[in-house]
Amino acid sequence: MVMDPRPSDPKQGQPAQTLAYGFWRQGGWLLLILPSWLLVYRFLEPFANVLTTRLFGLDLKTRLGSAAAFFLFDAPKVVMLLALVVLGVTFMQTFITPEHTREVLAKRAGAWGNLLASLFGIFTPFCSCSAIPLFIGFVRAGVPLGVTFSYLIAAPMVNEVALFMLLGMFGWKIAAIYAGTGVAIAFLAGWIIGLLKMERHLEPWVMETTFKAQPATEQRMRFSERLDAGLQGVRDIVGKVWPYLLVGIGVGAFIHGFVPAEFMARFMGKATWWSVPLAVLIGVPLYSNAAGVIPIVQALLGKGAALGTTLAFMMAVIGLSLPETIILRKVLKPRLIAVFIGVVALGIVLVGYLFNFIM
Amino acid sequence: MLIEIFGTGCAKCKALEKNAHQAVAETGMDHPIQKVSDYASIASRGILTTPALALDGQVKIQGRVASSDEIQSLLKG
Repeated sequence: MVMDPRPSDPKQGQPAQTLAYGFWRQGGWLLLILPSWLLVYRFLEPFANVLTTRLFGLDLKTRLGSAAAFFLFDAPKVVMLLALVVLGVTFMQTFITPEHTREVLAKRAGAWGNLLASLFGIFTPFCSCSAIPLFIGFVRAGVPLGVTFSYLIAAPMVNEVALFMLLGMFGWKIAAIYAGTGVAIAFLAGWIIGLLKMERHLEPWVMETTFKAQPATEQRMRFSERLDAGLQGVRDIVGKVWPYLLVGIGVGAFIHGFVPAEFMARFMGKATWWSVPLAVLIGVPLYSNAAGVIPIVQALLGKGAALGTTLAFMMAVIGLSLPETIILRKVLKPRLIAVFIGVVALGIVLVGYLFNFIM
Repeated sequence: MLIEIFGTGCAKCKALEKNAHQAVAETGMDHPIQKVSDYASIASRGILTTPALALDGQVKIQGRVASSDEIQSLLKG
């Protein structure tokens, strides 16, 4: 047999070459990217400071210099963190599908169902446009109304991306508080709504249309396919979120550089009893992507805002959104929407007071 | 094959529709594409997460945007 000397021919090429290439393509590149990521991350702050002082000639002690350095440090930092977190979370999400969740929850009545729903809600992605099909699909498949609400509240409020970003920026204690209180609110609110027996307040067509549930199929995906899904998630989410991110970082930079600490202590501190409800009142109509509000949280905490008030503000912004409420009007009668918003807002206020008290 | 795209108009739904059109164009065959965007119809098919795609009534993709390559291989397979 004549050996073909062309190494590029896959049939005749060296087996070791294609193996290595396959490994690289299937995910081996992660081994190179992750350490590089860590290295770049560590040097972001000094780099931002150097850029501010050398390139822009600003003094870091001035308000403008401080704000500029914050912005230059935070913008790449948040984007890098976001990309890494979305990659990991989307990868994990390929293992759980909403159909699985629905099947598990349909069999659970009572408080146990509310708890499970709240926990599941943490790890499932939530696109506002899916709120209605999800809601209907759950209710029609037999998931109790209160349990469905627990899921519907937990999914946007305990945003898995925000959770991991908090973990990366503030440590596990704050991340755990966020997750724990979000689950608690979703649990309680859903449970209360279930007790109020508000099934009559669903729009009639929800229960009247024909319905055929999709079975929960086993998702057999290869590691590389899950990784591809993760990368696609990064493209989608970073692509969708970056305007909110820039606004959030801009606001954060402004707070960091220009808002005096005394102002922060007065309006967001523990001393005034009305700071928590005020924070929630401001936060509810505001809508930001979870990633966009984190820089603001960072700036607020850095300036000395009380933890409870800041947490309440953050949850009010991402947990209740005007677009979502408008969409839900199609399936929920006004009374039920009011109860939904009211119970969740109340829960957030209570959480705010609780943490101002104990921290 | 009848292709149905389920979505309510957000960017992901439009992207799936675009990829479906591209996939059909590349196969060169005549596959009609129907857009379903009212909530009642979407929910009645048991779809939980949009965007979604169905072929001849069977839901094949849910909750994500499939590339035109993936849609093409679904059309062939």
